[in-house]
Order: sequence, then structure tokens, then C-alpha cells
Amino acid sequence: MNAPKVKEQLTPEGIVKYFKDEFKTKIKSSNVKKHVEGSKKKEYYNIWIKIDKSIFKDVIKHLCDMTYPHLAVISGNDLKKDIELIYHFSLYFGKRYNEISLNISVDVPKSKLEIETICDWIPGALVTEREKQEMLGIKIIGIPDSRRLFLPDDWPEGVYPWRKDDKGLQKYIRNLHEVKK
Amino acid sequence: MRFSMLPQVFAQMFKKPWTNKFPAKYAPKNTTKFLEDVESGKAKINPPIKTPEGFRGKIQYDKDKCIGCKLCIKVCPCGAIEFKEKEKKIKIYLSRCCFCSQCNDVCPVNCLSMSDEFLLADADPYSKDLIVE
Amino acid sequence: MSEQKNTTKTTYHIPIGPIHPALKEPVYFEFEIDGERIVDVDVKLGHVHRAIEWTGMRRNPIQILYLAERICGICSFVHPMSFARAVENACDIEVPERADYLRVIHGELERICSHMLWAGVAAHEIGFDSVLFITWEMRERVLDLTEYLTGNRVTKAIMMIGGVRRDITSEHVPKIKETMNYLKKNFEKLRKIYLEDKTFKIRSMNCGILTYEDAMGLCAVGPTTRASGVKKDVRVDQAYAAYGDLDIDYMTPDILRGKTVGDVYDRIIVRLLEVKQSIELIEQCLDKIPSGDIVSEPKIPKLLAHVKKTAGEGIGRHEAPRGEVIHYVKFDGENEHPYTWKVRASTYANILPWIPMLKGEQIADIPIVAASTDPCMSCTNRVGVIKDGNTTQLTKEQLHKLSVQKTRRLMR
Repeated sequence: MNAPKVKEQLTPEGIVKYFKDEFKTKIKSSNVKKHVEGSKKKEYYNIWIKIDKSIFKDVIKHLCDMTYPHLAVISGNDLKKDIELIYHFSLYFGKRYNEISLNISVDVPKSKLEIETICDWIPGALVTEREKQEMLGIKIIGIPDSRRLFLPDDWPEGVYPWRKDDKGLQKYIRNLHEVKK
Repeated sequence: MRFSMLPQVFAQMFKKPWTNKFPAKYAPKNTTKFLEDVESGKAKINPPIKTPEGFRGKIQYDKDKCIGCKLCIKVCPCGAIEFKEKEKKIKIYLSRCCFCSQCNDVCPVNCLSMSDEFLLADADPYSKDLIVE
Repeated sequence: MSEQKNTTKTTYHIPIGPIHPALKEPVYFEFEIDGERIVDVDVKLGHVHRAIEWTGMRRNPIQILYLAERICGICSFVHPMSFARAVENACDIEVPERADYLRVIHGELERICSHMLWAGVAAHEIGFDSVLFITWEMRERVLDLTEYLTGNRVTKAIMMIGGVRRDITSEHVPKIKETMNYLKKNFEKLRKIYLEDKTFKIRSMNCGILTYEDAMGLCAVGPTTRASGVKKDVRVDQAYAAYGDLDIDYMTPDILRGKTVGDVYDRIIVRLLEVKQSIELIEQCLDKIPSGDIVSEPKIPKLLAHVKKTAGEGIGRHEAPRGEVIHYVKFDGENEHPYTWKVRASTYANILPWIPMLKGEQIADIPIVAASTDPCMSCTNRVGVIKDGNTTQLTKEQLHKLSVQKTRRLMR
């Protein structure tokens, strides 16, 4: 964990500009959503950014230079031709009403299902990367530990439960009332 | 203080137990014989603690009000309600019900309500006590 | 004595799990031990995987609320809350103010119940059963209040997308105030027992330490990370529901103790401080609650039709008693059931911190250190010890006995 290089805190639009200045057209789209809740109508922001796969590792390094993030989870979507991975980060925790949620989504084509690991920058990502490997069939390059996490050892190879195509699961592998357990 | 738990332990020795002894003070050795004794009047069952108002117990169905709109079947998370096509009424299987009372909220004519009955254990999931229709 | 000089010394491997007394979730540990000290730890999961997310992708949002409630018994309010917030985020549904306050009241009630359950279990792991019974007797009063307000002690079924299902009327308020007064009166008793009794101090101080750097790097959440000094709490960081109007702050051990070490004793402090904070928050809510609707769309078919038409994605976060819970939902605008639903419960992020916490500790400390992070579901246990090729089985009672014997030894 190195010390962050950017000293002052950025606004949500400032964060989007920070990434766009560095990576220009490789940032495909961005969206800043404001939410208001409660009687005093305090606001908080969610930022959604979509990036190209080639700059993925550099974006994460750039983010860690700005401020050390908290990785909540990685979620995966099966769009027909590719798989979209969304990394949910939260930044600037520690001061009251100061946190901004940042969601970075990457499209990985099904023809070449690989992506780099972020465990060297954020060690806590190990559990969630292992889960994506077994649930979606995506290969994570450089992961320190690539064993199965949630599925049992006798699960058949090549079946990925979260996919919606033929590699997915149509019905349960084993129904307890049929197996008479 | 080194052992701050000691005063509590002493105070506890002089207090009455808080448990409500339902159904009897000690567990009966032979359950069927105990139930026979209760029927003939030789033994008595301690009643359970009264449930508060708004408790979600066994579901009650008012058949005449039902209009057959099937909204309750749509929102039931457990799939415990079945539609009887010919009569346009419903049949509820209590062995699958999770007592969430979402069907009560959805029904447009308010024909479903929750009672305070909770002693529903049975050996057969499809016995007459566990089907409401 | 001379034979021992010629033999080589090697470490043993002990598997613990998947079902264990101190761990509330079936987890498989493999410890490499040298004598009584732990040298290395390996964690394996997956024993209670129930395919809930896969099941949820085939049901409409109202059915998923009840499915989410049963992900965990003790945190049965946080999962419907996060899911409802994710759907409201994705479909732009606005929640009325009164519903925000009601959600906060129920969430804090659940936090009190959960922390008191944990406190009792921690006392049981040390071997101090009288404290277990006193704490759980106090918890019974809070459960009675929950049953009065929602209809059931554990699975509350109070959440609806766009608000809550039941209101708190003026008849309910006296009972809530009576329970809060009872808790405030007896809080001092609990604080004295847990924080000043010598038994707790000798077992928990300087045991199972998690440093600040490890807690930040491994993305730990909840009281586990606050006890190491990291200020991370979703209620204070982001002003959601009614928390933006209330007076709330991070609870770290230096409030009571003056310094932060990151051991088991610090985690006990953080949880007790949070119980006190929850009691104050409930009283603040009861004073400030505005009048109005409790749900934004009372007619369910209209709500489902609105969700079916909207396409969008959203996240919902909430601070559970154990940490941060996040749900991600994506709707595609054609069906009622979501295209994707991802759940991340708080224990998921607190598994990796077990490894630095347990290295260097003794076997008899495993129950209390593992239970101090408050993992989320109860189970039984079987430990297999492999010694020179003969396997002996240590059952749940024997592991618990080891922990109790250590307490007796330290007391002399």
C-alpha cells in the first residue's frame, strides 16, 4: 500500500475528469447519479464508469494513487457476446457523509475470457476473484490461489451456474427429494 | 473490581426461574399417556404465554369473499397456494407456508387473515389439519 | 532423552471444520501447528452454498424479499433492506420519510439483539456460562418487543419495496420506551462484567491481533475493522435512510480505552459501545419521526408493472451488525425477475482477516478468536488430529473443554 499521490479530495465530477484526462477515449461511458434521502435531504453520489479491457490494470493503479479504495465485491453479468465484470469500490470513507461509491465495469469477450488480477494492489480481492472464476468460467491471470471456493469438488467441469447460455445451469444438479437423502 | 460477576451470581441464587413451564413442570415420560390423563381430567396443561396482537400464526381463509384473481399465488414466495380451476377458489398447503402474510396484504377483498394459532406440528405434511381451503 | 535428539521435528496438520462450535458458518480450516502454536492457516468454504442467487433470478422482486430474509437468521433484516434499496436505486422509486425512520428503528433493534447474542456466545467460548444466561435473559426482553412490533421474533417480514409493511402507532410507543429504559438501567451491569472482570481480561487481551495495515489491505468490514482503528461505517459515511438526520459517529476503542490495539478485547469494547449507540439512536428516532405514508406504492400489481418496464442497475448498501452488506441488482426492462442479483454478506469480507489473526496463537484460543469476528450461522464441530499416522477425533465437547481448561489454568 503506497501513499496516495493526489493530496486533496476530488468531487465526483472531478474523479471522472481525473480518469478521462489520463485515459481519454478508452473510457467508454460515465454517469454520476445523485441520491437524496431523509428529512434533511443529505446527498450521496454513485459513479458508474465503463472502461476498455486493455487499460484495466492501469486504471486500478491510477485509482490506488488517488486514494486507497475499499473493494466491496465484483459482480458479473452475462451479456450475450461478452461477460461484464463490475468492480464496486468505495472511496473517502473515514469522515462523516463523505463517501463516494465508484463502480468500474469491464467487458470481457467470451472468445478470450481472461483478465488480470488486482490482488497485488488490494489483497482482499482474493475471495471474490476466486468466486468469479468458478461461477462464470473467467480465467484470472496471476491469482495467488486458484482453487474452487464455493462449489463442491465433485461439481462437473465446464458448467458455470451464472451463465445464461448453454454452459449455464437449467435445473438443479441434484434434487434432495429425488436422491432420497 | 476483580470478580465483578460474583454479586450477580449470589443474587441469582435467590431468584425464581423465569421459564414458563409449558406444557407441564417436568417432561412427561410417556407423552400419549400424559395426553390421555389431560382428557380425563387427572393432569393439567400449563398454557403457553399469550401471543401479542398482530402475531402471524395459522392462516384463515374466508371462502365466500374470494373472487379468484390469483394475486396471492403470484406473490407467495414458497409456492404454497394452489388454484382450483373449476371452483375458482384457492387451496393453501401449510406445510410449505412460511407465514410471511404477504398474501393478506395483496388480496383486494381481504379474505385472508392470520390467527394466533402456532401449535401446528404434525407427522404427515398433507394431513387435513395442514390444508386450508 | 537421547532418542529425541536423533529425530527430526516437523509440524502437524489439524483440520478443523466444516462444522464447529465457535464458528457460526461451516468453514473448513487446516492449521499447521508446532506444539501448541499455530504456524499457518488455510481456509476453505462452500459447505452451505444454497444457490440463493440462482434461485432469485427466477422470481419476482416481492418473492425475493422473503428469500433474502432467509439467507441468515440473525441478520434477517439487513438483506431485505439492502435488496429493497438496490431495487429502489435501479428503478428510481422514492421512499417516504416516515418509512426511512421506521427502517432505522427496526435495523437498530436488530443490532441490539445480534450484539447481545454474540456477547453471550463469546462468554460461553471462554467458559463463563453464568454471563451467557444473564445476557440472553436481557435479550429476551428485546425479542419480546420485536414480536410485539412485527409479529415474529426472528424473520420479521417488515420490508417492502418503497417502504415498510407495518406502522408504529402511538399505542406501540410506551412499550418501546419501557424496553429502552430497562436496557439503559442494566447496561452498566453488562459493562462491568465484560470489561472489568479479570476472567475476560486475561483471555482476550493481546490475543488475535489484526493490525491497521492488514485491516485496510484485506478490506475487512464492521466491528472487526473498527476495533483495529479503521474508521469505516456505512451509516456514518453515507447519509442513507434517516441516518443523515441523526447524531451518529464512528465507534472505535480509543473512546473508552485511550489506545487501539486490535485484539479481542477491543472488539468486545466496540460491540458494547454500539449497543449503547443503538439505544440512543432509537430514542432520537422516536422523537423526530415525521408523519406520512409508510410505503410509496401500496398497490402491488402497479409496483410490479413499474419494475417490469424499467431497465437499470443499482446497488444497495447497509450496515449490518457484522459489517457492510451490498446487493447489486440489474433489470433488463422486459421481465419482472432481475437479470442479475449479487449478494455479498459481511462475513465474506471478514474471512481473509482470520489468517493473520490466528498465526502465532495457541489451539485453545481458536474458539474465542474465530468467534470474535462474529461469523454468521451456528453449527456443530468435529476436529481431527493426526499424530504419527493415528487419527484421533476431538469432538465439540473436547475442544470446548480445552478452552475452558486454559481459563482455569490462567486463573491460578
